[in-house]
Amino acid sequence: VVVLWCVTVSSEALNLSDLLERVSMASDKLHSLSTSLTSDVGSQLPPIFKIMRPSQCHTSSLQTPTDKEQALNVPEEELLSLARSLLLSWSDPLAVLLAEAHNLVHPDKSAILSKTKDLHLHSSSLGAGLEHLIHKMGAQSQGIISLPYNGDVGTDKNASLSNFYFLLTCFRRDSHKIDSFLKVLRCRASKRPEMC
Amino acid sequence: IPPGKPSLTSCRSPEKETFTCWWKPSYTGGLPTTYHLYYRLENSEIVRECPDYHTAGQNSCFFNKNETTIWRTYNITVVATNRLGSNYSDPVDIDVVYIVQPHTPENVTVLVMKEDDPVPYLRVSWEKPRNADTRSGWITLIYQLRIRMKNQDEWEEHDAGQQKVFNVFTPHSGGTYMVQVRCRPDHGLWSEWSPPTYVEVPDYL
Ligand code: NA
Ligand code: NA
Ligand code: NA
Repeated sequence: VVVLWCVTVSSEALNLSDLLERVSMASDKLHSLSTSLTSDVGSQLPPIFKIMRPSQCHTSSLQTPTDKEQALNVPEEELLSLARSLLLSWSDPLAVLLAEAHNLVHPDKSAILSKTKDLHLHSSSLGAGLEHLIHKMGAQSQGIISLPYNGDVGTDKNASLSNFYFLLTCFRRDSHKIDSFLKVLRCRASKRPEMC
Repeated sequence: IPPGKPSLTSCRSPEKETFTCWWKPSYTGGLPTTYHLYYRLENSEIVRECPDYHTAGQNSCFFNKNETTIWRTYNITVVATNRLGSNYSDPVDIDVVYIVQPHTPENVTVLVMKEDDPVPYLRVSWEKPRNADTRSGWITLIYQLRIRMKNQDEWEEHDAGQQKVFNVFTPHSGGTYMVQVRCRPDHGLWSEWSPPTYVEVPDYL
Protein backbone atom coordinates (compact mmCIF):
# COMPACT_ATOMS: atom_id res chain seq x y z
CA VAL A 1 0.00 0.00 0.00
CA VAL A 2 2.82 2.35 0.91
CA VAL A 3 4.53 1.68 -2.40
CA LEU A 4 1.34 2.34 -4.35
CA TRP A 5 0.98 5.65 -2.64
CA CYS A 6 4.60 6.61 -3.24
CA VAL A 7 4.57 5.95 -6.96
CA THR A 8 1.10 7.00 -7.97
CA VAL A 9 -0.38 9.60 -5.67
CA SER A 10 2.56 11.82 -4.98
CA SER A 11 4.29 11.61 -8.34
CA GLU A 12 2.54 14.61 -9.91
CA ALA A 13 4.59 16.85 -7.70
CA LEU A 14 7.89 15.17 -8.50
CA ASN A 15 10.34 16.33 -11.11
CA LEU A 16 11.73 13.94 -13.69
CA SER A 17 14.83 13.07 -11.73
CA ASP A 18 12.92 12.22 -8.54
CA LEU A 19 10.36 10.24 -10.47
CA LEU A 20 13.09 8.20 -12.16
CA GLU A 21 14.65 7.64 -8.76
CA ARG A 22 11.33 6.20 -7.53
CA VAL A 23 10.52 4.03 -10.50
CA SER A 24 14.02 2.56 -10.53
CA MET A 25 13.72 1.75 -6.83
CA ALA A 26 10.43 0.04 -7.64
CA SER A 27 11.92 -1.89 -10.58
CA ASP A 28 14.88 -2.93 -8.43
CA LYS A 29 12.49 -4.31 -5.84
CA LEU A 30 10.36 -6.03 -8.47
CA HIS A 31 13.38 -7.81 -9.93
CA SER A 32 14.66 -8.88 -6.51
CA LEU A 33 11.23 -10.23 -5.69
CA SER A 34 11.07 -12.20 -8.92
CA THR A 35 14.52 -13.68 -8.24
CA SER A 36 13.51 -14.73 -4.75
CA LEU A 37 10.22 -16.23 -5.93
CA THR A 38 11.90 -18.08 -8.81
CA SER A 39 14.33 -19.60 -6.36
CA ASP A 40 11.55 -20.63 -3.93
CA VAL A 41 9.56 -22.33 -6.65
CA GLY A 42 12.64 -23.91 -8.26
CA SER A 43 13.81 -25.41 -4.97
CA GLN A 44 11.24 -28.22 -5.34
CA LEU A 45 11.67 -28.90 -9.03
CA PRO A 46 13.87 -31.68 -10.36
CA PRO A 47 16.39 -30.34 -12.92
CA ILE A 48 14.50 -31.91 -15.81
CA PHE A 49 11.62 -29.50 -15.18
CA LYS A 50 13.97 -26.55 -15.03
CA ILE A 51 15.34 -26.64 -18.55
CA MET A 52 15.59 -23.04 -19.68
CA ARG A 53 13.56 -22.21 -22.73
CA PRO A 54 13.61 -18.41 -22.71
CA SER A 55 13.12 -18.25 -26.47
CA GLN A 56 9.58 -19.48 -25.78
CA CYS A 57 8.78 -16.59 -23.44
CA HIS A 58 5.83 -14.66 -24.84
CA THR A 59 7.90 -11.46 -24.85
CA SER A 60 10.86 -12.93 -26.73
CA SER A 61 9.79 -11.36 -30.03
CA LEU A 62 10.25 -7.86 -28.64
CA GLN A 63 13.56 -6.50 -29.93
CA THR A 64 15.55 -5.10 -27.04
CA PRO A 65 19.21 -4.06 -26.73
CA THR A 66 21.57 -6.94 -25.91
CA ASP A 67 24.57 -5.07 -24.54
CA LYS A 68 25.73 -1.73 -23.19
CA GLU A 69 26.67 -0.20 -26.50
CA GLN A 70 23.23 -0.90 -27.93
CA ALA A 71 21.36 0.16 -24.79
CA LEU A 72 23.17 3.48 -24.54
CA ASN A 73 22.41 4.22 -28.17
CA VAL A 74 18.66 3.81 -27.80
CA PRO A 75 16.86 7.17 -27.51
CA GLU A 76 15.44 7.85 -24.04
CA GLU A 77 11.81 7.74 -25.11
CA GLU A 78 12.36 4.41 -26.76
CA LEU A 79 14.04 2.89 -23.69
CA LEU A 80 11.08 4.01 -21.63
CA SER A 81 8.66 2.64 -24.15
CA LEU A 82 10.46 -0.73 -24.16
CA ALA A 83 10.25 -0.87 -20.36
CA ARG A 84 6.54 -0.04 -20.49
CA SER A 85 5.83 -2.56 -23.24
CA LEU A 86 7.60 -5.32 -21.33
CA LEU A 87 5.70 -4.59 -18.13
CA LEU A 88 2.37 -4.21 -19.92
CA SER A 89 2.90 -7.59 -21.58
CA TRP A 90 3.03 -9.13 -18.11
CA SER A 91 -0.39 -7.91 -16.93
CA ASP A 92 -2.23 -11.05 -18.06
CA PRO A 93 0.35 -13.70 -17.21
CA LEU A 94 0.92 -12.18 -13.75
CA ALA A 95 -2.82 -12.45 -13.12
CA VAL A 96 -2.63 -16.09 -14.24
CA LEU A 97 0.28 -16.69 -11.86
CA LEU A 98 -1.63 -15.13 -9.00
CA ALA A 99 -4.69 -17.31 -9.66
CA GLU A 100 -2.50 -20.37 -10.05
CA ALA A 101 -0.51 -19.72 -6.85
CA HIS A 102 -3.65 -20.69 -4.89
CA ASN A 103 -3.62 -24.16 -6.45
CA LEU A 104 0.08 -24.98 -6.34
CA VAL A 105 1.24 -28.12 -4.61
CA HIS A 106 4.41 -26.99 -2.87
CA PRO A 107 5.77 -27.10 0.70
CA ASP A 108 6.45 -23.33 0.63
CA LYS A 109 3.04 -22.55 -0.79
CA SER A 110 2.17 -19.76 1.65
CA ALA A 111 5.46 -17.92 1.02
CA ILE A 112 4.99 -18.38 -2.73
CA LEU A 113 1.43 -17.10 -2.59
CA SER A 114 2.45 -14.07 -0.57
CA LYS A 115 5.38 -13.23 -2.88
CA THR A 116 3.21 -13.71 -5.97
CA LYS A 117 0.73 -11.21 -4.51
CA ASP A 118 3.60 -8.79 -3.88
CA LEU A 119 4.87 -9.30 -7.40
CA HIS A 120 1.44 -8.48 -8.79
CA LEU A 121 1.07 -5.42 -6.57
CA HIS A 122 4.56 -4.06 -7.25
CA SER A 123 4.12 -4.61 -10.93
CA SER A 124 0.88 -2.57 -11.02
CA SER A 125 2.50 0.13 -8.96
CA LEU A 126 5.53 0.31 -11.24
CA GLY A 127 3.19 0.39 -14.24
CA ALA A 128 1.43 3.43 -12.80
CA GLY A 129 4.81 5.08 -12.17
CA LEU A 130 5.85 4.43 -15.77
CA GLU A 131 2.61 5.97 -17.04
CA HIS A 132 3.43 9.14 -15.11
CA LEU A 133 6.95 9.09 -16.42
CA ILE A 134 5.75 8.77 -20.02
CA HIS A 135 3.42 11.69 -19.43
CA LYS A 136 6.19 13.72 -17.80
CA MET A 137 8.68 13.06 -20.56
CA GLY A 138 6.05 13.96 -23.14
CA ALA A 139 6.85 10.64 -24.78
CA GLN A 140 4.74 9.18 -27.57
CA SER A 141 2.72 6.20 -26.56
CA GLN A 142 2.33 4.70 -30.04
CA GLY A 143 5.52 2.75 -29.52
CA ILE A 144 4.04 0.93 -26.54
CA ILE A 145 2.71 -2.51 -27.24
CA SER A 146 1.43 -5.40 -25.18
CA LEU A 147 2.49 -8.82 -26.40
CA PRO A 148 -0.32 -11.36 -26.08
CA TYR A 149 -0.04 -14.19 -23.60
CA ASN A 150 -1.99 -17.23 -24.75
CA GLY A 151 -0.72 -19.94 -22.46
CA ASP A 152 -2.18 -21.43 -19.36
CA VAL A 153 -0.31 -23.04 -16.54
CA GLY A 154 -1.67 -26.57 -16.97
CA THR A 155 -3.50 -28.98 -14.73
CA ASP A 156 -1.08 -31.84 -14.24
CA LYS A 157 0.78 -31.28 -10.95
CA ASN A 158 4.34 -31.38 -12.32
CA ALA A 159 3.44 -29.55 -15.49
CA SER A 160 1.74 -26.87 -13.47
CA LEU A 161 4.72 -26.26 -11.17
CA SER A 162 7.11 -26.43 -14.07
CA ASN A 163 5.10 -23.93 -16.12
CA PHE A 164 4.80 -21.66 -13.12
CA TYR A 165 8.57 -21.77 -12.84
CA PHE A 166 9.01 -21.22 -16.57
CA LEU A 167 6.84 -18.09 -16.48
CA LEU A 168 8.81 -16.80 -13.51
CA THR A 169 12.14 -17.25 -15.29
CA CYS A 170 10.71 -15.25 -18.20
CA PHE A 171 9.51 -12.54 -15.85
CA ARG A 172 12.83 -12.49 -14.03
CA ARG A 173 14.65 -11.74 -17.27
CA ASP A 174 12.15 -9.09 -18.35
CA SER A 175 12.14 -7.39 -14.96
CA HIS A 176 15.94 -7.22 -15.15
CA LYS A 177 15.68 -5.55 -18.56
CA ILE A 178 13.13 -3.06 -17.23
CA ASP A 179 15.33 -2.32 -14.21
CA SER A 180 18.44 -1.85 -16.37
CA PHE A 181 16.69 0.50 -18.83
CA LEU A 182 15.23 2.60 -16.02
CA LYS A 183 18.59 2.87 -14.26
CA VAL A 184 20.22 4.15 -17.45
CA LEU A 185 17.45 6.77 -17.69
CA ARG A 186 17.88 7.59 -14.00
CA CYS A 187 21.57 8.37 -14.41
CA ARG A 188 20.95 10.54 -17.48
CA ALA A 189 18.45 12.64 -15.55
CA SER A 190 20.26 12.51 -12.22
CA LYS A 191 20.79 15.60 -10.14
CA ARG A 192 23.45 13.69 -8.26
CA PRO A 193 25.63 12.17 -10.99
CA GLU A 194 28.28 11.31 -8.38
CA MET A 195 25.90 8.61 -7.15
CA CYS A 196 25.89 6.96 -10.56
CA ILE B 1 42.95 -44.17 -21.30
CA PRO B 2 41.20 -41.06 -22.70
CA PRO B 3 41.21 -37.89 -20.54
CA GLY B 4 38.85 -37.63 -17.55
CA LYS B 5 35.84 -35.38 -17.59
CA PRO B 6 36.78 -31.67 -17.32
CA SER B 7 34.51 -29.33 -15.35
CA LEU B 8 33.56 -25.71 -15.79
CA THR B 9 34.28 -24.13 -12.40
CA SER B 10 32.92 -20.60 -12.82
CA CYS B 11 32.06 -17.75 -15.15
CA ARG B 12 32.31 -14.12 -14.04
CA SER B 13 31.78 -10.69 -15.53
CA PRO B 14 33.46 -7.77 -13.75
CA GLU B 15 31.46 -4.98 -15.42
CA LYS B 16 28.45 -6.44 -17.33
CA GLU B 17 30.39 -5.93 -20.58
CA THR B 18 32.83 -8.86 -20.86
CA PHE B 19 33.12 -12.23 -19.13
CA THR B 20 35.49 -15.10 -18.46
CA CYS B 21 34.91 -18.78 -17.81
CA TRP B 22 37.39 -21.08 -16.05
CA TRP B 23 37.61 -24.86 -16.01
CA LYS B 24 39.40 -27.52 -14.01
CA PRO B 25 41.65 -29.77 -16.10
CA SER B 26 40.83 -33.45 -15.91
CA TYR B 27 42.93 -36.54 -15.25
CA THR B 28 45.22 -37.03 -18.22
CA GLY B 29 47.50 -39.92 -17.19
CA GLY B 30 50.43 -37.71 -18.14
CA LEU B 31 49.46 -37.59 -21.82
CA PRO B 32 49.57 -34.22 -23.58
CA THR B 33 45.97 -33.00 -23.47
CA THR B 34 44.32 -29.98 -25.04
CA TYR B 35 41.17 -28.20 -23.90
CA HIS B 36 38.62 -26.49 -26.07
CA LEU B 37 35.59 -24.52 -24.97
CA TYR B 38 32.51 -24.49 -27.16
CA TYR B 39 29.34 -22.47 -26.73
CA ARG B 40 25.95 -22.07 -28.30
CA LEU B 41 23.92 -18.91 -27.86
CA GLU B 42 20.20 -19.09 -27.11
CA ASN B 43 18.15 -19.01 -30.32
CA SER B 44 21.10 -20.07 -32.41
CA GLU B 45 22.05 -23.47 -33.83
CA ILE B 46 25.64 -22.44 -34.41
CA VAL B 47 28.28 -23.88 -32.10
CA ARG B 48 31.23 -21.54 -31.71
CA GLU B 49 34.64 -22.03 -30.17
CA CYS B 50 36.15 -19.88 -27.42
CA PRO B 51 37.29 -16.60 -28.97
CA ASP B 52 40.30 -16.04 -26.66
CA TYR B 53 42.19 -18.63 -24.59
CA HIS B 54 45.02 -16.24 -23.64
CA THR B 55 43.79 -12.99 -22.08
CA ALA B 56 42.52 -14.50 -18.81
CA GLY B 57 45.34 -16.99 -18.30
CA GLN B 58 45.48 -20.78 -18.08
CA ASN B 59 42.33 -22.90 -18.30
CA SER B 60 40.13 -19.97 -19.15
CA CYS B 61 38.21 -18.38 -21.96
CA PHE B 62 37.70 -14.64 -22.29
CA PHE B 63 34.74 -13.06 -24.12
CA ASN B 64 35.37 -9.46 -25.11
CA LYS B 65 32.73 -6.75 -25.54
CA ASN B 66 31.88 -7.81 -29.07
CA GLU B 67 31.41 -11.42 -28.02
CA THR B 68 29.37 -10.64 -24.91
CA THR B 69 25.63 -10.20 -24.97
CA ILE B 70 23.30 -10.15 -21.99
CA TRP B 71 19.78 -11.53 -21.49
CA ARG B 72 20.76 -14.41 -23.75
CA THR B 73 21.80 -17.79 -22.44
CA TYR B 74 25.21 -19.24 -23.35
CA ASN B 75 25.28 -23.04 -23.29
CA ILE B 76 28.93 -23.85 -22.61
CA THR B 77 30.90 -27.11 -22.78
CA VAL B 78 34.61 -27.85 -22.34
CA VAL B 79 36.23 -30.74 -24.22
CA ALA B 80 39.50 -32.42 -23.17
CA THR B 81 41.31 -34.28 -25.95
CA ASN B 82 44.44 -36.44 -26.12
CA ARG B 83 45.62 -39.09 -28.58
CA LEU B 84 43.42 -41.71 -26.91
CA GLY B 85 40.18 -39.77 -27.16
CA SER B 86 37.99 -36.94 -25.83
CA ASN B 87 35.82 -36.23 -22.84
CA TYR B 88 33.16 -33.56 -22.37
CA SER B 89 32.23 -31.49 -19.33
CA ASP B 90 28.62 -31.22 -18.25
CA PRO B 91 27.20 -28.25 -20.18
CA VAL B 92 26.45 -25.08 -18.20
CA ASP B 93 23.85 -22.43 -19.02
CA ILE B 94 24.80 -18.89 -18.10
CA ASP B 95 23.25 -15.47 -18.58
CA VAL B 96 25.89 -12.77 -18.07
CA VAL B 97 23.52 -10.64 -15.94
CA TYR B 98 23.69 -13.24 -13.15
CA ILE B 99 27.47 -13.63 -12.97
CA VAL B 100 28.48 -10.00 -12.43
CA GLN B 101 31.16 -9.66 -9.74
CA PRO B 102 32.99 -6.32 -9.79
CA HIS B 103 36.63 -5.66 -9.09
CA THR B 104 37.37 -4.16 -5.67
CA PRO B 105 36.83 -0.44 -5.00
CA GLU B 106 39.99 1.63 -5.46
CA ASN B 107 41.97 4.31 -3.61
CA VAL B 108 40.45 3.65 -0.19
CA THR B 109 41.38 6.63 1.99
CA VAL B 110 40.75 7.13 5.71
CA LEU B 111 41.03 10.53 7.35
CA VAL B 112 40.80 11.36 11.06
CA MET B 113 38.36 14.27 11.31
CA LYS B 114 38.48 16.49 14.38
CA GLU B 115 36.57 19.69 13.70
CA ASP B 116 35.03 21.15 16.86
CA ASP B 117 33.89 17.90 18.35
CA PRO B 118 36.24 16.58 21.04
CA VAL B 119 35.69 13.04 19.75
CA PRO B 120 37.20 12.54 16.32
CA TYR B 121 35.58 10.44 13.65
CA LEU B 122 36.90 8.65 10.61
CA ARG B 123 36.00 9.67 7.10
CA VAL B 124 36.41 6.73 4.74
CA SER B 125 36.26 7.43 1.02
CA TRP B 126 37.01 5.37 -2.09
CA GLU B 127 36.51 5.19 -5.82
CA LYS B 128 34.54 2.76 -7.94
CA PRO B 129 36.48 -0.01 -9.68
CA ARG B 130 37.99 1.63 -12.76
CA ASN B 131 36.31 -0.58 -15.37
CA ALA B 132 32.75 -0.30 -14.01
CA ASP B 133 30.74 2.20 -16.05
CA THR B 134 28.49 3.46 -13.27
CA ARG B 135 28.34 6.92 -14.83
CA SER B 136 26.06 5.84 -17.66
CA GLY B 137 23.91 3.81 -15.28
CA TRP B 138 24.84 0.60 -17.09
CA ILE B 139 26.01 -0.86 -13.80
CA THR B 140 24.88 0.25 -10.36
CA LEU B 141 27.20 -0.45 -7.44
CA ILE B 142 26.52 -0.47 -3.74
CA TYR B 143 29.30 -0.44 -1.18
CA GLN B 144 30.02 -1.93 2.20
CA LEU B 145 32.90 -1.18 4.52
CA ARG B 146 34.29 -2.94 7.54
CA ILE B 147 36.55 -1.65 10.26
CA ARG B 148 38.37 -3.11 13.24
CA MET B 149 41.20 -2.28 15.58
CA LYS B 150 44.39 -3.92 14.46
CA ASN B 151 44.64 -6.08 17.60
CA GLN B 152 41.01 -7.22 17.64
CA ASP B 153 39.17 -9.91 15.70
CA GLU B 154 35.69 -8.49 15.41
CA TRP B 155 34.82 -6.44 12.33
CA GLU B 156 32.16 -3.77 12.42
CA GLU B 157 30.32 -3.60 9.10
CA HIS B 158 28.58 -0.59 7.56
CA ASP B 159 26.41 -0.32 4.46
CA ALA B 160 27.19 2.82 2.46
CA GLY B 161 24.61 2.32 -0.30
CA GLN B 162 25.70 4.00 -3.54
CA GLN B 163 27.77 6.60 -1.70
CA LYS B 164 31.54 6.59 -1.95
CA VAL B 165 32.18 8.24 1.39
CA PHE B 166 31.19 7.11 4.88
CA ASN B 167 31.81 8.52 8.34
CA VAL B 168 32.52 6.12 11.20
CA PHE B 169 31.94 7.57 14.65
CA THR B 170 33.22 6.85 18.16
CA PRO B 171 36.43 5.03 17.55
CA HIS B 172 38.44 4.17 20.66
CA SER B 173 40.86 6.80 21.80
CA GLY B 174 44.28 5.89 20.45
CA GLY B 175 45.10 2.84 18.34
CA THR B 176 45.47 1.61 14.81
CA TYR B 177 42.35 0.83 12.77
CA MET B 178 42.05 -1.29 9.66
CA VAL B 179 39.46 -0.45 7.01
CA GLN B 180 38.34 -2.42 3.94
CA VAL B 181 35.69 -1.68 1.32
CA ARG B 182 33.87 -3.94 -1.15
CA CYS B 183 31.10 -3.47 -3.67
CA ARG B 184 28.43 -5.38 -5.48
CA PRO B 185 26.15 -4.56 -8.37
CA ASP B 186 22.43 -4.10 -7.70
CA HIS B 187 21.73 -7.73 -8.64
CA GLY B 188 25.06 -9.49 -8.43
CA LEU B 189 27.94 -10.76 -6.35
CA TRP B 190 30.19 -9.05 -3.81
CA SER B 191 33.70 -8.12 -4.94
CA GLU B 192 36.70 -9.09 -2.85
CA TRP B 193 37.51 -6.75 0.03
CA SER B 194 40.02 -4.03 -0.82
CA PRO B 195 43.51 -4.42 0.68
CA PRO B 196 43.41 -3.02 4.24
CA THR B 197 43.98 0.70 4.77
CA TYR B 198 45.44 1.58 8.17
CA VAL B 199 44.78 4.70 10.19
CA GLU B 200 46.18 5.93 13.48
CA VAL B 201 43.59 7.42 15.85
CA PRO B 202 45.18 9.90 18.30
CA ASP B 203 44.62 9.77 22.07
CA TYR B 204 41.85 12.23 22.75
CA LEU B 205 40.77 11.36 26.30
NA1 NA C 1 43.15 -19.68 -21.29
NA1 NA D 1 28.70 -6.80 -26.55
NA1 NA E 1 26.43 3.33 -9.22
